[in-house]
Amino acid sequence: MRPRASAVLIVVAVLSLAVLIGCQNKGAGNTIKIGVITSLTGSQAAFGQAHKNGYAIALEEINAKGGVNGKKIELDFYDDQSKPDQAVQGVNKLVDQDHVPIIIGSYSSESTRAIVPVVTAKQVPLLIPTAVADNIMQTGSQWIFRLCAGSGDYAKSTLDFLKNNGNPKTLAIVYENTNFGQANFNSMNALATAAGMNVVDTEAYQASSPDYKSLLQRVKGKNPEAVYLASYLLDATTLMRQSETVNLNPKYYTSAGTGFAIAEFPTDKGAGKYANYTYSVSQWLPTAKWAGSKEFDDKFFQLTKTHPSFHALQAYVALIVAVEAMKKNMTSPAAIRDQIRAIDIPMTPFGPIKFDAKGQNAHPALVTQIQNQQYKVVWPPDAAEAKPIYPTPTWAERKKKGEL
Amino acid sequence: MDWLYPFLQAVLNGILTGALYALIAMGMALIFGVMRIVNFAHGAFLMLGMYATWVIFEYGHVNPYFGFLAAGALLFAIGMAVYAGLVRHVPVQAEFMIILLTLGVSLISVDTVLLVFGADYHQLNFALLGKNFRMGQISLNAPWLISFAIALLAAFALYFFVMRTMFGRAARAIAQNPYSAPLMGINIHRVQAVTFGIGAAAAGIAGGLLLPVFYLYPDVGHLFNLKSFLMVVMGGMGSIEGAAAAGLVLGVVESLTSLYWGNEWALVVDFVLFILVLSFKPSGIFGSQRA
Repeated sequence: MRPRASAVLIVVAVLSLAVLIGCQNKGAGNTIKIGVITSLTGSQAAFGQAHKNGYAIALEEINAKGGVNGKKIELDFYDDQSKPDQAVQGVNKLVDQDHVPIIIGSYSSESTRAIVPVVTAKQVPLLIPTAVADNIMQTGSQWIFRLCAGSGDYAKSTLDFLKNNGNPKTLAIVYENTNFGQANFNSMNALATAAGMNVVDTEAYQASSPDYKSLLQRVKGKNPEAVYLASYLLDATTLMRQSETVNLNPKYYTSAGTGFAIAEFPTDKGAGKYANYTYSVSQWLPTAKWAGSKEFDDKFFQLTKTHPSFHALQAYVALIVAVEAMKKNMTSPAAIRDQIRAIDIPMTPFGPIKFDAKGQNAHPALVTQIQNQQYKVVWPPDAAEAKPIYPTPTWAERKKKGEL
Repeated sequence: MDWLYPFLQAVLNGILTGALYALIAMGMALIFGVMRIVNFAHGAFLMLGMYATWVIFEYGHVNPYFGFLAAGALLFAIGMAVYAGLVRHVPVQAEFMIILLTLGVSLISVDTVLLVFGADYHQLNFALLGKNFRMGQISLNAPWLISFAIALLAAFALYFFVMRTMFGRAARAIAQNPYSAPLMGINIHRVQAVTFGIGAAAAGIAGGLLLPVFYLYPDVGHLFNLKSFLMVVMGGMGSIEGAAAAGLVLGVVESLTSLYWGNEWALVVDFVLFILVLSFKPSGIFGSQRA
């Protein structure tokens, strides 16, 4: 059994070496860790990847300037695999094992809602870059801060836009049956009714099904003037392609951003030409008026050869905010929390950053339309770069014109 | 007659989806029927079939409607290898071990694909995707139709292979009595290896046919793992024609549920049906429990 004995010895040696290296790292103290949870694998990996690129650009800028108080920043990533339970595991690991003083994440509303009670119990501040469900901010936690606009803002911007552009009277809401989808449904349903619109159909769906044709047929049966969709990317693509199959022709395809607002959606990796004419709420575009937007776009393009969607920028700004809050004290979560509360940055590529008593940053939601496979801001008027095209041509008209 | 067209359309859509379900479930039923193995790697095999078809399309520019054949061949080889390398060394009575083993195979496959291709999802994009046949108010999407036709052919081929050939007879003999089959001159390991290969190949072919109308990422198989197990049980634990029928029924039921109650109820109805079948007709909807 000699070979086995030597194998055991090697394993022991490797393990002790790993422990040694680990200790050394801690002892040296030249870096400071920030915890990041996002979805690097699983069905939302496209968004996690956008996050990762955004963080990478911010990290490089920060460390190039010497980090914080002479210490380099190091990102401690945890992949939640697009699953809420894994995101919770991530908080446990990052806080209990790696002792990070602050966490940024996660990507989805579902995962983020799941980790709010955990960070609150562990008393570690959480910066939320992209999760739009409003129930996340209604938990009353004193440890959470959200950069992005929420589902209520999404519905409001969309309704403002519709009211001023043709003023449709009937609406159908189609949403993924998750926290993200339900939050957007709740906001839209309440606000549209209050605005005098008739919500003729609401459809919750099970994510990642290959077949939504029956669902779309139900929508078609109610003949709404406008449709409001809340979906992640893969389903957004399936929904648009199958809308053509069942010949669903509302005057407006509006959406709660996300799958309809990510860079891949109008390309061949997403719905391609089927994405044309869809409206979506957007938090940011490379053409945004805020200083630094163009520079970020350039850097992102250099890194990935594609243009960024707002998810990447939100991650980028989140890291900048975190570092800003760590300038006075970078080890105590409570001190960092108080610093985030006091933060008042007049200009970032995501606009000014300042959190209210609930931890929400005031951010305007834009409405974009995909024209010729490009995102164009069409609302509000002071930010608009193109005129909205409505009503949306029917699928038959688009085929005839050779647009499909 | 306003209700008629949506109803017909939903039934047709359900049959198109159901044929793919049927092919996936038949592969699992075959393995279960002959070896009493619940193959938890079935979803992973499906995923591997999708990736194989995708790679051939992306790098070799081969139409997925030819590429699926290569996926089937590859999965046949993988299935044989998994049987010869792993499954045959575990005693059949150790059911729990087999479950862990196939789960392990599934995890290794998913993680290998993750390492090689990354977590990114992929979608095919070719002109055929936008083709629809319209007859009055009924419209059928071309890739779904083609996938359906091929899946149907593959399902019949599988059925005849198991029911009408010498090999199929040998496999059924093992299913009936694994102890006396070798006494009749059947090389039990060879037959089981081929059976495992064919079961995997069915998943691979179904994956290749699913790819044009769906999308893929490393974990996509888990969506179909539980569903195919459900169809195997509903079809009568190992009866391949039962599994095929269950697949079609499930496809149509899901589509109709989606039309009349809403898509969110489709999975609920699946499982209610499953529980009803288990409670009142545990031998499956066809009732002809083989072996």
